[in-house]
Amino acid sequence: MTETAVLRMTGISKSFPGIRALSTVDFDVEAGEVHAVVGENGAGKSTLMKVLAGVYQPDDGTIELDGVAVRLSDPIEARRRGIGMVYQELNLVPDLTVAENILLGSTPSRFGLVDRRALREQARAVLDELDARIHTDDLVGSLTVSQQQIVEIAKVYAARPRIVVLDEPTSSLSEHETQSLFRIIGRMTEAGLAVIYISHRLREVLDISQRVTVLRDKRLVDTRPTSGISAAEMIRLMVGRDLTEVFPKREVEIGEVALSVTGLSRAGEFNDISLTVRSGEILGLAGLVGAGRTEVARAIFGLDNRDAGLIEIDGTVVNIRGPRDAVRAGIAYVPEDRKRDGIVPQLSIKDNISLAVLDRVSAAGWIRPNAERTLARQKADELTVTPPAITPRVDTLSGGNQQKVVFAKWLAARPRVLILDEPTRGVDVGAKADIHTIIGELAARGTAIVLISSELPEVLAVSDRILVLHDGRISAELPRGASEQEVMHAATGEFVS
Amino acid sequence: MSAPTSQPRVMQQSVFARQGTRLALPISIVLILLVGALLSDKFLTLQNLTNVLINMSIVGIIVVGMTFVFVTRGLADLSVPATVAVGGLLVLGLQSSLGTLGAAVVGVLAAAIAGAVNGWLVGYAGLNPVITTLASGTIVLGIAQVFVGGVIVYGDDPQAQDFLTGRVFGVVPVIVLIFIAVVAMGHLLLSRTVLGRWSYAVGSNPFATQASAVPVRRVRAIAFLLTGTLAGFSGVLLGVTLQTARPGIGMGYEFDAITAVVVGGVSLLGGSGTVLRAIGGLLFVQLLTNIMVLQGVPTEPQGIVKGVLIAGAVAIDVALRRRGGRE
Repeated sequence: MTETAVLRMTGISKSFPGIRALSTVDFDVEAGEVHAVVGENGAGKSTLMKVLAGVYQPDDGTIELDGVAVRLSDPIEARRRGIGMVYQELNLVPDLTVAENILLGSTPSRFGLVDRRALREQARAVLDELDARIHTDDLVGSLTVSQQQIVEIAKVYAARPRIVVLDEPTSSLSEHETQSLFRIIGRMTEAGLAVIYISHRLREVLDISQRVTVLRDKRLVDTRPTSGISAAEMIRLMVGRDLTEVFPKREVEIGEVALSVTGLSRAGEFNDISLTVRSGEILGLAGLVGAGRTEVARAIFGLDNRDAGLIEIDGTVVNIRGPRDAVRAGIAYVPEDRKRDGIVPQLSIKDNISLAVLDRVSAAGWIRPNAERTLARQKADELTVTPPAITPRVDTLSGGNQQKVVFAKWLAARPRVLILDEPTRGVDVGAKADIHTIIGELAARGTAIVLISSELPEVLAVSDRILVLHDGRISAELPRGASEQEVMHAATGEFVS
Repeated sequence: MSAPTSQPRVMQQSVFARQGTRLALPISIVLILLVGALLSDKFLTLQNLTNVLINMSIVGIIVVGMTFVFVTRGLADLSVPATVAVGGLLVLGLQSSLGTLGAAVVGVLAAAIAGAVNGWLVGYAGLNPVITTLASGTIVLGIAQVFVGGVIVYGDDPQAQDFLTGRVFGVVPVIVLIFIAVVAMGHLLLSRTVLGRWSYAVGSNPFATQASAVPVRRVRAIAFLLTGTLAGFSGVLLGVTLQTARPGIGMGYEFDAITAVVVGGVSLLGGSGTVLRAIGGLLFVQLLTNIMVLQGVPTEPQGIVKGVLIAGAVAIDVALRRRGGRE
């Protein structure tokens, strides 16, 4: 089997001033294979992939393509050698069409002008090969995130790579869309491509890959056939300890209705949404991407205007015209898009934590440094933010720790109602467990929690009750203990309640 | 090598990037002082350095406001020449009827109103700051010109002039003290208050800041209100010191203030920089200009040097941002 390796990386090491980022890692991938790479954030996955992409030069080790040692001096060279990267952040031009984006690097032309017909035909051919049903003439900006992702993959595929790296490709996809992505991956491996699949979602890794490599602390732990490994075993290898339960659910007493929403509507996004959440209760909001979950949450928090609807907190109607009103009413929102709506990158951990409650640590407009430090220190400790110092800039932290900082900010506001939108997306296993512990603790303290997650097992395990959204409407209300199938039926609109 | 963690790398990198930016300016100022001392024996005299300070004072007050505009990612306030003129023209034009103090208050208030309009247009209406302040500056200057009939206004209060140019303990001119007081207040406002923290947050990531219940629009507006007010105050001081003002009196101050802020390492992209650094940038530019004047360098090459300085400072800002921002 070693004979067919398209890529073989041997003894790859990489150091940055003062720190080792990758320590003698071996990795190989074969034609027609999906090879998954898993590990906590900071385990070295990204560094390894950046070495492969030509972004970093390894200090030590060799890279062989088809048995020939190569030097990938820069990303262009790597691409030329047949390495295609699909990053988590999409690199598409929203104002161009699907076809223009797919062939952006190699636009067909005649007499110096774009050959529209050839452009369309070539893009169509690529999409057909991938069995992707997307119109070549649609503007990329008008597509859903999952469609955009497929365009991105098609763009990489159009360059005819030998190896395709997919970095967290399903983080913004729903269950259903993930299946179409898997179909596309299947097409690629049938065509003889080698696929490297990086994901935090272990169940997907089990479903799609033939082999899995586990990294921990910049080192290779093991590479094994996926058929001989369970999710629990993978987690054990990743964290070096046993996690008995991935989603522990804490039993708490459920109290009075804290948040009540009646007839909430916003044109084009959702219609007539009514829901209640009780003190100590965790209400799961399930649905496919685009079903309107995030939109509902944003409207309740005042980030988007609503066309109609009544919001009550503890039985009192509150008029929410913006996040300031929402926070004053006792609502907090951990947003889906952490980079955009969550963290303020240039501020320190401390400044981020205190941002929403500066009035509480200031007098007559002057910040009281000691009070602020104490507050930030306490909340950061509560959430076990690493590093333990509160002065580093928040953008120097890993994704999981940034998410903890966002949590800490809202914990500091002591909300009655906490809306969590994909709280564990792109977060490593350890931080995920920490975040679940915190959610349980908040519920135990009587906070009413709305949980939005595309990870169905998470919603099912943590929620006391589940509302399923389909096409901007509530399609089902399911009790705790509902099955994945029931939720999926309601989410796809095949469910009659 | 002991077991590495991701933490030290991250911290080390950012500390390096931070120290690099932090030390460059003080070192440059020390260097330019040395160069000046070597080139001319008139440079390191009390007389000369005091002159530099006096020259700095008027524009320095504007720099304080412009720093807030930069930090909140408000790009720049190009209406400064107009608001300076409003302050200068009104204080002299109304002197005879209101007295110098009363006229000064009216001058500052009028400039503040112009600043508030800018703030409303940029912060609440969401217009592009460069275009907005360019337009409002032109309009305000037009009104000011109509007010004075397009000619020079002369003052008739030499006592006020003497007061501003007079020296405390025979050394420090009053106008320099006023400048220092404004800088101190501006610095405290930006570094110690809720408004200051909000300003950094708005400039760094307005979306997350809004989602954190911060009144983003108000914070943006205040930066322009502040700049208008301070430019008006600066114009008042300028008018009183010169006892003469014409509509074009504030021309070039917007450029000098922007130069100072940029050279001071305050990022045009918002979210970072301090008032003291911006004033450091101003000091550097003023010392450089002073040396060139002492060396008899004509005005045109001076402009070229300043232009190169801005381009260099922006390039360094971009480079540092790239290095500071990881992965």
